[in-house]
Amino acid sequence: MVDLTDALALARAIAAGETTAVAVVEAALARIEARDDAVRAWKTLAPEQALAEAAARDAEAPRSPLHGVPVGVKDVLDTADLPTGYGSPIHEGAQPAADAAAVANLRDAGMVVLGKTVTTEFAMRTPGATRNPHNPGHTPGGSSSGSAAAVADGQVPLAIGTQTSGSVIRPAAFCGVVGYKPSWGYGPRAGLKMLAESLDVVGAMAHSAADAQALAQAMAGRPVAPTPALDRPPRLGLCRSPSWPSIEPAGDAALMAAVDAARAGGANVVDVDLPAPFADALTAHDVVMTYEARGMLAYERTRHWSALSPTLQDAMNRGAAASLADYEAAIATRRACRAAFAAAFDGVDALLTPSAPGEAPAGLEFTGAPEFNRIWTFVGAPCVTVPGLTGPGGLPMGAQIIAGLGQDDRALAVAGWLQPRLGA
Amino acid sequence: MSIDDPTQLGALEAAAAIAAGELTAEALTAACLDRIAERDGDIGAWTAVDRERALAEARARDGEEARGPLHGVPFGVKDIIDVAGYRTGMGSPIYRDAPPASADAAAVALARDAGMVPLGKTVTTEFALRTAGRTRNPNRLTHSPGGSSSGSAAATADFHTPLAIGTQTGGSVIRPASYCGVVGFKPTFGRIPRAGVKSVSESLDTVGVFARSVADAAAFASVLEGVDVASPPAPLTRPRLAFARTPAWDHLSPAAHKAGRDAADRARAAGASVIEIELPPAFRDAIDAQATIMSYEASRSLAYELRFCADDVSPALKAYVGAGADMNREAYDEARNVQASCRAALWSFFADIGALITPAAPGEAPGNPADTGSPVANQIWTMAGAPVVGVPGMTGPEGLPIGMQAIGPAGRAADVLAHAAWLHQALAD
Repeated sequence: MVDLTDALALARAIAAGETTAVAVVEAALARIEARDDAVRAWKTLAPEQALAEAAARDAEAPRSPLHGVPVGVKDVLDTADLPTGYGSPIHEGAQPAADAAAVANLRDAGMVVLGKTVTTEFAMRTPGATRNPHNPGHTPGGSSSGSAAAVADGQVPLAIGTQTSGSVIRPAAFCGVVGYKPSWGYGPRAGLKMLAESLDVVGAMAHSAADAQALAQAMAGRPVAPTPALDRPPRLGLCRSPSWPSIEPAGDAALMAAVDAARAGGANVVDVDLPAPFADALTAHDVVMTYEARGMLAYERTRHWSALSPTLQDAMNRGAAASLADYEAAIATRRACRAAFAAAFDGVDALLTPSAPGEAPAGLEFTGAPEFNRIWTFVGAPCVTVPGLTGPGGLPMGAQIIAGLGQDDRALAVAGWLQPRLGA
Repeated sequence: MSIDDPTQLGALEAAAAIAAGELTAEALTAACLDRIAERDGDIGAWTAVDRERALAEARARDGEEARGPLHGVPFGVKDIIDVAGYRTGMGSPIYRDAPPASADAAAVALARDAGMVPLGKTVTTEFALRTAGRTRNPNRLTHSPGGSSSGSAAATADFHTPLAIGTQTGGSVIRPASYCGVVGFKPTFGRIPRAGVKSVSESLDTVGVFARSVADAAAFASVLEGVDVASPPAPLTRPRLAFARTPAWDHLSPAAHKAGRDAADRARAAGASVIEIELPPAFRDAIDAQATIMSYEASRSLAYELRFCADDVSPALKAYVGAGADMNREAYDEARNVQASCRAALWSFFADIGALITPAAPGEAPGNPADTGSPVANQIWTMAGAPVVGVPGMTGPEGLPIGMQAIGPAGRAADVLAHAAWLHQALAD
């Protein structure tokens, strides 16, 4: 029996000859076949290609600690051998000439691309067909909908997501998996369909912080080397953040449950308020995102306006309403936030904050609010959502760990410490 | 007004003639295409020109109300930037059989939406890095046009097109503009959207433009940024310039030193205040840090080509990215810190000056078309994300152009463009 929830263990088993990459891919394909009608996480599957690649990997010495492990690729990242549609009818069936750098690095690390996962339209708000694997009547979140759902449902141990507002952390929390958005600039974005250049980050979905870190390292072309476990309980800053007016009772309760679990594990938890410039961060994030998205999607906007969803049209119009002066002011706000951010970590290792306002909303139309993600994406901080909590509706909920700029190892170590204490 | 040869018109002049009914977009496009047909055998600026398509687009523009200040004006596009229907060759044999791009890059889409007409794709060095294409310097065919935006610079200089798009990661707009004797404009980092542009070094890659006047460059950049950056550059009463011996100074040739000093003298004689300044200490390490960031990021952004198409990667590029791949993370992080310090320090010395001026290249164009020259005069400013305008006007001992560059702080392109326009005129007089 192949356990599709532990990527590093799978690679070790493959390296030890206890299983093969082909057997792992077959197990993944079998799970997808059984579940795809219900979950619909995949835009494009490539069973034969994946089996052929797996067989080739089985014939080689391991190239990395993820050798032979299958991975799902969000359909906003180019693949040289699979169409890449960006979740939009405008690009349906388009075939890129090259792999995105992140994808090429994964293949170079010996990983096997299983297929492309469903994204919302250009990684914005308009959903695809994916459902929450825990309750098909609920959204999986977005924009990395298929990646979160496929990993959560045990269809693939790892998948790539991207985040411009809350598109890794929120769907991971809604689906009950680990989501990791690295610090801004962590790895190359060549071949990613950009939405907002100064915000977009490629991230990872997995069942553990260690697996998520390994995927992110491999995508960035860095050596795959897990962060050592904490040698003491962390000091955590409970940060309700300027997003707090968006909290739902379930989100409040989940945050308190996470605090209790952390304290029970020996963590010191103190309240932390963000420095003054962060009061403007939510507004400034929307200006930066919509202003940049209007430029980045210039081709689609100018040539295919009627093929954009009304939601995306609205975002384009908001971008048009922002002047260059508005944009520059928002960039200045970000500079001030970044400069002041270190002060939030005075005496604490990491911040603890909600991953989402509450449980995954009912219905598939609304992928949920990114309110508890936008500030961290804006400032460029590493974010990890840790699963293990359950809401009143029986759906999974996460707790989000934030570390200082570039302090990815610390965020991951704290998340790794917290995860067993939340019960997952 | 009779227009004997529309290729000699500047972009704004041509647009005005079109708007006045004295010229059609089709006639202008046809004249550019004829000029390309006549000259490109020698110059080698273009990788692909679809004549019928360009003429059809121009005719369509002639049937419309003007959609922008450059309605009906043709332009060239560096071949690392997608134009729907054209294969994007990247200056690399890896993409020789690639399918045509299915979408326009964002910048190209913005230009077309403003009524402009893409003529075709211009030669780039391999992935906008070192290995030269076949382009020659229009001023002297034995010499390099510079790179990496070789074709865009040469095509603009040789009157194949009034405007062209390039990109700069080290010095790939400003240097070829200097060697070819045209205006180059590298806007503030992050302003022209990069969607559909081959990513080489994300922290540095900047889309820029070539033109034969500063006003044309400003107008084109405004179209590509989607906002007015300076239209037209405000008239200056008393230009406030600073001349700096930057950390690059010792890497420049005596010819560039002389050109720089002479340009400062001419600016003074024409009425500018020109002070001499030292750059803040943050800039001392900027050249090395730029090289570190660029090679580190390029070795990762080109992962697909390096991992899976290595047989078609030039030895020079392999050596270059090999050094980047071996670089440790700490060195890269430190270089990014230098970049942040430069960006922060950039504002400090522009409080009382409108633009800093310094030579745009290490000297005249190299006498070997395979050598596109050194970006050493440009790296600091790409690193700092500063708006830079390269203006021609000086000449070296071999009789080839040496440009000056006008530099300002991020976000103050309008000031820099105004000072550059003034300087361009002052050097021409």
